[in-house]
This record gives sequence, structure tokens and C-alpha cells, in this order.
Amino acid sequence: MLPELLQGVDAGGLIVIQDCAGYSGRRLLQSFISAALNRDETVHVIGFEVSEEELIGGLKGSSTQRLHFHDAFTDPLGWTDHPAFTVRQFNLDEVTHLVKQTSLPKAPTLVIDSLSWILRHVSPAAVCKTLQQLRKGGAVRAVIGLLHTDMHQRGTVGSLCHLATSVITVAPGMKGDEAVAKITKRSKSGKVMLDEEIFHIREDLAVIVQSKASHTGHKQPDPSEKETDPTANLTFNLRLSDTEREAKKKLALPFVFSKEKKTALLHSVPGSGRILYEPDANDDFDQEDPDDDLDV
Amino acid sequence: MAAPVDSACKPGAQRSPFNTTSFQKKTRSKLISIPGTRPSVLNGQLLVSTGVTSLDFLLGGGLAVGTVLLIEEDRYDSYSRMILKYFLAEGVVCRHELFVAAAQDNPDDILQELPAPILDDVAIHKPAEQPRLSCEPQDSLDAMKIAWRYQNLPKVQCALASSSRFGHYYDVSKTMEPEIRQAAKCHRFYLPEHPAQSSGTHSPMLQSYTALLRSLQEVIHREGFDVAAPMSKSRNILRIGLHSLGSALWGDDLSCHDNPTHRHSLAAFLYGLRALLRSSLSVAVVTVPSHLIQ
Repeated sequence: MLPELLQGVDAGGLIVIQDCAGYSGRRLLQSFISAALNRDETVHVIGFEVSEEELIGGLKGSSTQRLHFHDAFTDPLGWTDHPAFTVRQFNLDEVTHLVKQTSLPKAPTLVIDSLSWILRHVSPAAVCKTLQQLRKGGAVRAVIGLLHTDMHQRGTVGSLCHLATSVITVAPGMKGDEAVAKITKRSKSGKVMLDEEIFHIREDLAVIVQSKASHTGHKQPDPSEKETDPTANLTFNLRLSDTEREAKKKLALPFVFSKEKKTALLHSVPGSGRILYEPDANDDFDQEDPDDDLDV
Repeated sequence: MAAPVDSACKPGAQRSPFNTTSFQKKTRSKLISIPGTRPSVLNGQLLVSTGVTSLDFLLGGGLAVGTVLLIEEDRYDSYSRMILKYFLAEGVVCRHELFVAAAQDNPDDILQELPAPILDDVAIHKPAEQPRLSCEPQDSLDAMKIAWRYQNLPKVQCALASSSRFGHYYDVSKTMEPEIRQAAKCHRFYLPEHPAQSSGTHSPMLQSYTALLRSLQEVIHREGFDVAAPMSKSRNILRIGLHSLGSALWGDDLSCHDNPTHRHSLAAFLYGLRALLRSSLSVAVVTVPSHLIQ
């Protein structure tokens, strides 16, 4: 599922990349940025944690005019007189103003590095509210954020991921530069898809998915048993040949009337009896417990 | 205690054009019966259906009017949302009034996703359609060879009028048709539409919960759901659905921190809600994301 997420984010989507101390999710974030640029999308990056060169240095190329970096690394708390972008400015109006400066017809993708930094200075409820407003606002097409799970309480991480349409949790893999990604994707209809993949990121920021993580003890499903034919191996003949079947169809059953009489009788006369039935508690038939006597 | 019923009475058999008998049960009670409710067999409390008949059975017949049902959400809020939608859809079918409040999704979106009710029509005698019936019934897939007299009857025939039944069945694969939905009166509360006003007094509740409670109180009083309101008008039930209370989008940090600063806010709101409901003809279903709350 990771390649599909990289190929495109639905409008109004919020992707949260959760990483831990063992494996940094920043490379994956850079892959998302480069994939969006390759799709000719405009990307706005708000960088709190690392400098511009470190985050998007490797992405300098032909498509840099569509990549806008907002420097929140040099002075995020506004200690100098002219801060570029402070953490207090992370609300709907300021971010919309920032993004609208480029004023292109297509709504851009917003990348935040990282949400953890903002959460240390702004209350989680306010961050959730801003993210929800950005999603629904329409100024921004999609939001991708990096979150360090080790830095926050479980409830904070949970609340933020509750809002997200897709959550990618990365953890170190077995060998070398491989990593394991657990992906949870929520579609608009409410369906939730879970997936687990092993991947590694190449030098050009392309993501190669190795294989699905193997579950231990996973058996192949047994091939469905062939249905045994109950009419075989009997001393008497239960099958019908074709001529016998024809003869059976032609047999006139009692009380089978001609077509005209049938349609005449099928008109319901007003005042004829009707069957009224209200399903009651006994109709809640449990297939697994037909006698209602299992003590589960 | 919910609105008590003096004598266990059933709504009188309604006259329909296809009534087979002219028998009509004489009701002696002065209390106007409300469609979609029935008195409990245990203590005479007025009950409404939650929309899920199995859940009604577990609750002892139905949900008592004047009470609050709290549902702890599952991980991805799929089943709790479904139960909330069933509850609201039941209100539409029984012609109750609805009040939907949410912070995450627009209440209009929730109302558009309501499941379609399965309303079986009684076999109607239409003399104008006689020529149409002459077409071959054997061509249709469910033409019956031996039991052909039952061919035109629907599979399940319900009572005379669907809305007088208690508890309906729904088809989750389809959404409710707009005509049925618009026939019901809905009140909405979408939190982003209510801007935060700084309250001068220190209140135990968050500003968002206060606004919600105030809005509820105003609706109950204006539409006449108070028990104390004059009995001359026909009474109806207000069904209140509150989605995901206690989540971060309501401004509550109960689900974010281990030691929240507003730890009593949600509890204070629920107390206020219970007090409000006790004196009105309404019933509430609240969903709480308890998996996030430590």
C-alpha cells in the first residue's frame, strides 16, 4: 500500500508518519516530497526541526520552483525581531496566508516537519483543530506530517492519528537499511485497510517495497474440498436423464390452472386475509449458537 | 425518572383503507400516545427504539425517554458511528425530531449517510393496473410454480402502517432517500460554526460544551419538549445524537494528556445533559472515544 500512498493523496487527506528513535521517518518524508514534485504538484514545506539544506538539499533540480520552504528552523519561538515563521503562527489564517502567496490554481500539498515540535509548544487540542481546519478548508490539498511517537504521551499520539486518513508507522527492520512500515488507511466510506510492508529507500528517494512482512506460522488455506456427489455409489438411481427431466417439466400438476385463471386469481381482492407478522426476540437466530445455551 | 405513563396503553389501531375489521381498541387514557414509543412492561416508562432491535432487546425493550446512552467508540469509529446512524434513522422513520452535534464532521454529512429503511408495502389493489398484470409472471425470476397464489405478495408483511411499529429494519448498503430524510425536522450543531467566546466567569465546563448545552436547552424549550409544556399540542420525542464527545476537536484535552487540565469538564457536561433530559421528552445517544482516554 505504500507505493499507492506515494503516488497520490486524496483531497482532504492527512497522512501522519510516525517514527521512533530506532528509525527516522525523515527519509520517507523526503520521498513523499519528491514524489509530489514528480507529479507536478506544488509543495509547501514548513521545517521546524532541520535546516533547509538538510531537508530538501537533495531535491534541487528542475522542479524547485514548485517547492517552497518556509523556514521555521532559525527562529521558531520569535526571539529575534524578525522571525521568518514562528510556532505561534501555526493556525489556519497564517498558514492559509503563507500558502496563498504562490497563488496557483491547483491547491498545494503541505508538508510539516515536524508535528512533534509544534506539539511541544502548542496544546494538542489546538493542533488538532488547526489540522482539521486545514483539511476541510480547501486552501491546502493534503497535509503530510512527521510525528515522533517517543516524545509524546499515548493519548496525544492517538488523538492526532484519530484525525488522520492514513497513518504510516515505521520501525527498524531486520537487516541493514530496511524498515518495516505498518500502514493504516481510512477510506471515505469508512473502510479501514491495514498493511505491513518491508521497504528501503534508494539514494534518489525512491521507495522500494521488498515484500510483505511474513507472519509466522501462516498456513496456505486448504484447497476447497471437492463436493461429494450424494447420488453416486447408490444401489438405486437418483439421477435424471435429460428425457426424464423434460417429461418431469411437462407433467401437469394438480391445482395448476391456465394462465388466464391464474392472473384472474392473483388480483388481490380488498378485504382478503393478510398475514401480519412482527419479528420478535425468537427470530434473532444465532447461527453459531442455535440453542442459546452456550455460556460465552 | 422518565415521563411516566399512567396506564399501559397501546396506540389505537389505525384505520387504513385496507382494514379487514372495524374493531378499534378503546383507549381510556388521557395521555396522548406518541408514535414510535411504547410503555415498558416492567415499570411503565416510555421507551423508544434505538434502531437496532437486538440492542433494544438487550436494553430491556428499548431506550427509556429522558435517559442518556453512552457508547464507547471502537478504534476506527466504525461501529459506534453505525449505531448512531441507526438511532437517527429510527427517529426519521418514527417522525421524531432530531438534534445532531459533531465537531469533526458536518452534521449534514452524518445525516446523508443514514441507512435506508426497509418498508414493505402492503399489496395494494390497483384496478388501473389490470392490463399490466397480464404479462407473463413466469418470466420473472421469482415466479413460483406451485405456490403461485403468493407470488405477488411481499416476503414480509408488516403491520398496517410502518410508522406505528416499534423497531424497524434497515439496509446498510443503501442510504436513506432524501425525501424521507427531509420530512424529518433536524437541528444541527457543528462546533466550527460556533466561534469561541471568552467567558468571563470560571465555569467547570469547557466553552464548547457550554455552547452545546445552551443550544440544546434552547431547542428543547422552543420546540416544546419540556414535560411542563402545555399538553394541548401533539407531543413528540427529540432524539439527540452527540458524536465523539471528549475528543480533541471539542477542545478537550482529556484524550491527550494523562493529567488533563479540564478533567472534569466532560463529566460536568454529562451531568448537565442528564438534568436537562430528565425534565423533557428527549433521549440522547453519546459516543466517547474512550480508547484515547487514559
